Amino acid sequence: MGSSKIIRTIVQKLFPFIVLFGLYLISHGHLSPGGGFQGGVVIGTAIILLALSYGIEKTEKKFENKRLSMLEKLGILTFIFLGFLGIFMGHSFLGNFLPLGKPGQIASGGLMLLFNIAIGIEVATGVSIIFYALVKYRGEI
Amino acid sequence: MFKEMKKVFFIIIILVMTILFILSVDIEYGNPKNLDVANYYVDQGLHDTGAINLVAAIYLGYRAYDTLIETIVLFVAVTGVVFYLRGKR
Repeated sequence: MGSSKIIRTIVQKLFPFIVLFGLYLISHGHLSPGGGFQGGVVIGTAIILLALSYGIEKTEKKFENKRLSMLEKLGILTFIFLGFLGIFMGHSFLGNFLPLGKPGQIASGGLMLLFNIAIGIEVATGVSIIFYALVKYRGEI
Repeated sequence: MFKEMKKVFFIIIILVMTILFILSVDIEYGNPKNLDVANYYVDQGLHDTGAINLVAAIYLGYRAYDTLIETIVLFVAVTGVVFYLRGKR
């Protein structure tokens, strides 16, 4: 299946920029509006756009469902592992044990960047897994 | 039996809503009394968490539990969607 050549070309050119914008939203979540949830949804939207224009089979060759669901579990386990790491480092559960750094820099805020990355991976893969399931079991593109 | 109970419940709900409405007529909105926690977050958020985005300071710093459970809720939702869409195998 898939769409016309115009749409496919535009999506092909647009895809890296959408992913880049999602990564920016995730990595600057503690400095500017955005964060893991929003950036993850943007990246998930990029994968959905690819599936809508190129068809689900070609997209699944690049982004396998099995690998995506593995990444989703990895994201949530990273979050919980970081929480327990706070206990082992002598703080509370989910407590911050990294240095706070200089406010305004990307390496500030301690664990916040890692939390945002974990949430971003989880949300991006979760959104695309739901889309895959809807397409595969309830209709087709 | 069931129909009469339904009517009684309807009347009770109407009465309670009327009482609540009458009681809430002279409340001033937009003028909360207890702002201690909010003021503490605004004053000490940057110092405590090191993030200049106050929203991130609250939802990943002070209330990281909330965010963790929210992520788990999303995970369970994805699992449930896939489980029920897949059907019987």
